[in-house]
Amino acid sequence: MILSSSEAAAMAPEMAIMAGILFAILVPNLGDAKARIPLTSFKFPILWGGTRFEITSDPRAPGIISTVSLAVACILSLYAIESSDGKTISGVMEITGFGRFMSMVFTAALAITAAASIYRIPSTKITVDDAKDADERTTLSLMDNRRQVDLHILLMMVALGMSLMALSTNLFFLIVCLELASMASYVLVGFHKESRIGGEAGVKYFIVGSIASATGIYGMSLLYLWAGSLDFAGLSASWAAMDTLDPLAGIGVGLMLVAFGFKVSAAPFHLAAPDAYSGTNAPIAGMLATASKAMGFVAMMRVLVGFAAPNEAVTAWAPALGVLAIITMTWGNLAALSSENPKRMLAYSSVAHAGYMLAALAALGSGLADSNTQDLLQMAIVFHLSVLVLFKMGAFLVLTLLEIEGTGKSISDMNGLARRDPIVASSMFVFMLSLAGIPPLSGFLSKFLMINGLVTTTTDTGAATAANAMSWLQSVDPYFLLALAIVLNSALSLFYYLRIGLLMFFEEPVTDSPLPKAPLLRVAILVSMVLTVLFGLGPASEWLLSLVETAISTF
Amino acid sequence: MSFTGPLSIITLVPLLSGLILLVLPNVLPSDISMRMKASVRNVAIGLSSAIFLLTTLIFVGTIGQIDWLSIGMGDYVLETEDPVWLIESIGVTWHLGTDALSFPMIWLTTLLIPISMLVQWDAEDGHSFHSLLLIMEGALIGVFVSLDLFVFYIFWELTLVPMFFLIMIWGGEDRKYASMKFFIYTFTASVLMLVGILVMYFNTVADPNYAGTLTGHHFNLVLMTEQSRVDGLINSEGLRHFVWLLLLIGFATKMPSVPVHTWLPDAHVQAPTAGSMLLAGVMLKMGAYGFLRIAVAMFPESTLTFVPLLVFLGMASLVYGAVVCLGQTNLKRMVAYSSVSHMGLIFLGIATMQPLGFAGALFMMFAHGIISPLLFAVAGSFKHHYHTLEIGSMRGIAHHSPFLAGHMMLGWMGSLGLPLLAGFVAEVAIMIAFWMTFGWWVLLPALTLIFTALYYLTSMQKMIFESDDPHIGKLPDTMHDEEPRDVTWHENAGMFVLGVLTILFGILPFIFWDMMSVWSTEFIQTYLVHAMNMLEASP
Repeated sequence: MILSSSEAAAMAPEMAIMAGILFAILVPNLGDAKARIPLTSFKFPILWGGTRFEITSDPRAPGIISTVSLAVACILSLYAIESSDGKTISGVMEITGFGRFMSMVFTAALAITAAASIYRIPSTKITVDDAKDADERTTLSLMDNRRQVDLHILLMMVALGMSLMALSTNLFFLIVCLELASMASYVLVGFHKESRIGGEAGVKYFIVGSIASATGIYGMSLLYLWAGSLDFAGLSASWAAMDTLDPLAGIGVGLMLVAFGFKVSAAPFHLAAPDAYSGTNAPIAGMLATASKAMGFVAMMRVLVGFAAPNEAVTAWAPALGVLAIITMTWGNLAALSSENPKRMLAYSSVAHAGYMLAALAALGSGLADSNTQDLLQMAIVFHLSVLVLFKMGAFLVLTLLEIEGTGKSISDMNGLARRDPIVASSMFVFMLSLAGIPPLSGFLSKFLMINGLVTTTTDTGAATAANAMSWLQSVDPYFLLALAIVLNSALSLFYYLRIGLLMFFEEPVTDSPLPKAPLLRVAILVSMVLTVLFGLGPASEWLLSLVETAISTF
Repeated sequence: MSFTGPLSIITLVPLLSGLILLVLPNVLPSDISMRMKASVRNVAIGLSSAIFLLTTLIFVGTIGQIDWLSIGMGDYVLETEDPVWLIESIGVTWHLGTDALSFPMIWLTTLLIPISMLVQWDAEDGHSFHSLLLIMEGALIGVFVSLDLFVFYIFWELTLVPMFFLIMIWGGEDRKYASMKFFIYTFTASVLMLVGILVMYFNTVADPNYAGTLTGHHFNLVLMTEQSRVDGLINSEGLRHFVWLLLLIGFATKMPSVPVHTWLPDAHVQAPTAGSMLLAGVMLKMGAYGFLRIAVAMFPESTLTFVPLLVFLGMASLVYGAVVCLGQTNLKRMVAYSSVSHMGLIFLGIATMQPLGFAGALFMMFAHGIISPLLFAVAGSFKHHYHTLEIGSMRGIAHHSPFLAGHMMLGWMGSLGLPLLAGFVAEVAIMIAFWMTFGWWVLLPALTLIFTALYYLTSMQKMIFESDDPHIGKLPDTMHDEEPRDVTWHENAGMFVLGVLTILFGILPFIFWDMMSVWSTEFIQTYLVHAMNMLEASP
C-alpha cells in the first residue's frame, strides 16, 4: 500500500510517530562499521553496526526521540483539526477533525508518559567501576540502551494504534488498531519485570484484556454475519433498516461493549484495572487512565453513536448502559473511599469517571435528546477525555515523583508533602479538586456539561404541575436519575480527594528530604496544573470547547 | 466598561498584585528577593490604602452622578454594560455592579484590609502575610460585586484559600485542627449551595444577550432575579423550597447560625489577629449578603414560608451565643460567641419582613463589621503584650496599658449596644421591627441583650479596673517578669480608626442608613409584597 503525497501529508502525525519508531531502531545502531568493495581493498563507512558511536548509543537517546516525536505528532494533530477535510484513505480511514482531535489527545498523553518514563525507568549510567573492562561496559551500556528502546518503541506503538483507531471507518480496522495499542500496553504494564508485582500486574491485565478482546471480536463476527459488511456506513444502513432488534445485531453490539467496557474500565469489567494500575509504574498507569480510556470511549462512540444509534424502532442498549453507568460510578467511588494505595485510589476514581461518561452516552442513546443536546453530550464526553489528560495524568506524574524517590506505595506517603515541596503539593491539590469537579477548574466544566446535557435531555418530561419535588421526580424520565447520580457521586468522591489534600497539608512529613529533581517532569506537572485552571474559565476554555465543537461536527 | 471599570479595578488589582507579591520573592535570586521581602508590606499597605481611597471617592465624588437613594430595585450602579464572556458556551460573564446592599460591605472591606495590615504590621514572614491579605481583599470584594452566580461562587470559594493559610501558618497552638474544621465546614456547605445554584441555572430561560451558546441558560443574577419576580424561577414549589434550604445551609454556615456555628470559635481563637478581624468583619457578612441577594430575592415565597425557621435560628443563635459567652474565660472565644449572637440578630431582622428590620439587619452587618474587628484587634494586642487570652488572669489593664484599656472599653460598649455607638442603631431598628411583626415576643431578644451587657460588664470590671493593689494590679503568669507595656503605635493607630468610626456611625448613622432603608423598602415592595399576596390568596 503506497500513499500518495497528499495522503501522506494528511497523515502527518502518524508519519511523525512512524519516524520516531524508525529513529528509535536506527539511531542506537549507528556505528563505525565499514564495508569493503568486493575485489578491492577499498573500504567505505556504512554507519551501521560495528562499534557504536558514543553519542548515538547513549541510553538516554530513545527517550528523547520518543518524547520529541510524540510531541511533534501532538502539535501536528492540533494544527490539522481545523483543516481536515474528510479525505478517505484506503477505504478504511477518514481524516476528520474528530480523528485529529483525538490523536492530539492520545499523543499528548503519551508524550507526557514518555517524558515521565525518562525519569521513572531511567537509563543507568554505566561507569568504569560497574564493569570489569571496557568490553563489558559497552555490553552493559548496549543492554541498557535496548531496554530503553523497547520501552519507548512500545509507547510509540500505543500512540500509533490509538491515532489510527480514531481515524477508522471500518470496524475491522478499528479492532486491529485497538489491538495494536492494547498489545503494546499489555507489555508496558508488565515492563517492570524485576518486581514480582509488576509481572503479576502485566499477566493479569493481559489475560483479562485478551479475553475481553476475544469477546469483542466474536461480537464483531456476529455483526458481520448480520450485516455482511464491517464498514460503518454499511452497518449504519443495516441498523437503520431494522424494524425490530435483530438478536444477532443486539448480541454483537453487546459483546463489543464488553471489549470496550474493559478498555474504559466500566463495572463489572473493571476488576483488573486497579491491580494493573497499582502494579505498574505511575506514568504507564497514567497512560491507562487517560489515553487508553479515551481510546475505549472513542471506540464505544463509534459503535454506539456511529452506527447503533437508536432509531424509532430499536432502543436497545441505552437503559442497560444507564444502569451500568450508575453501578460503575458508585462502585468506583465506594472502592476509592477505602483504598490505601494512591494508585489504586486513582484507578477507582478513574472507574468512577468512566461511569460519568457512560451516563452521558446512555442519555445519547435514550432517544430523548434533540440534535443540539446530542452534540452537547458528545462534546461533554470528548471535552472530559481531553482535560482528563491534564489532571488525571498530572496526579500520576506527582506519584511518579514519589515513586522515583522509592515511596508512593501507601497513601501515607503523601503526608506532609506540602512542607517538603509546596509547589508539587499545591499542584496535586488542584488536580484533586479538578477530579472532584470544583469550579472554576476544568474538571468542573466537563462534569457540568454532562449534567447539563442530561438535565436538558430529561427535564421537560417532568410534570410541570407537580406539587412537590418527590412527585416531580416520579414523573420525570428515569434518565434524569443519571444526573442526580452524578451529583451525589461527586459529593461522595469529595471525601477521598480532599483526604489527599488534608494529608498533604496537615500531617507531619515522614522525611524532610526534598523530592527528586526531575526537571522535565516538574515542568510537565506545572504546565498540567496551569492548564487545568485555564481550561476551566476564560478564553482558553472557550478555545478548547470550540475545538471540541469542530471535532464533534465531523464525528 | 469591561475589565477596566472601577469595580473591576478594586477587585482585580489586589488579587493580582497579591499573587505577584506572593510568588515573586520565591523565584527571584536571593539578594533581590531579600530586599523585596522587606518592602512587600509597604507596597501592600500602600496599595490597599489607595484602593480604600478609590472606593471612598466612588462613594463621595460621585454623589452628584450616582444618586444612591434613587437606584431602583434590580438596578445596579457601575454595572458592566455589555456581556464580557468568561465562558460563552455555558453563559458565564464578567458582570459587576453594586447597590446599597453591597456597597457598604465593599467600603468596609477596603477599610479593614489596611487596618488589619497595620495591626499586624510586624507579622513573621510579613511578605507572605501581607500579600495573602491582599489576595483576600480581592476575593472578598469579588463576592460583593459579582452579579454572575458562577463568578460569585468562585470568589466565594476563593476567600477560603487565603484565610485557610492565614490560620494554618500564622495561627495559634491548635491551628491545624481549627483550619481543617474551618475548611471542611465552609467548603461542604458551599458545595451544597453550588447544587442549589445549578438547579437555578437549569431553570433560567434563554436570554439573547447572556445565554450560553451551548446550553441556552445563563448565570446572570440580575436576569435570574427578574425572571423569578415576573414568572417565578422554579415552578415546582417543593423544588423551590429544596433549593432555598440548600442555599440556607450554604449561607447560614458562613454567617454562622447556631447548629453549624462550631467552626467559628475555633477558627477565631486560632487565627492571627488580622485573620480574625477579616473573618468577623467581612467574611461572616458574606453569608447574610448572599442570603438576601440570592435566597430571599429569588425565592420570596419560600422565605415567607420559612419565617418561623428563620426566627428559630436567629433566636437560637442570639440566646445560645450570649449564654455561652457568659461562661467563657478566653477573650477571643468570648468575642467569637458574641459574633454568633449578633449574627442571630441579623436573621431576626430579616425574619421581620419589615423595611425597618431589613435596614436594621443591613446596618448590623455594617456596624458589626466595624466593632468586631476592633474587639479582635484589642484581643490580639492583649495576646501580643500579655501572652495570654485568659480573662481572669489579669487585673487592672487600665493602669498598665491605658490605650489598650480605652480601646477595649469602647469596643465592648459598642458591642453591647450603647446609645450613640454604631451597634445601638442596628439593635434598636431590629427590635422595633420585631415588635411590629411579632408583638411582645420582642421581649425575648431584648432580654437577651441584657445578657450581652452582663458578660461585657463583668469581664470589663474584672480585667480593666478591679485590682487589689492600684499600683501593680495583677499580671498574668505568662508575663513572667516582663514589664507590662502599652500597645505599639501601629496597633494603636488601627484601633483608633475603628474606634472613631464606631462613634461616627453611632452619631451620624444616616451616612449609610438612608440608602440602606430606601433599598430595604424597595426590596420589600418589589419582591416580598407580591409573594405575600400570593401566599394570602392561596392559604
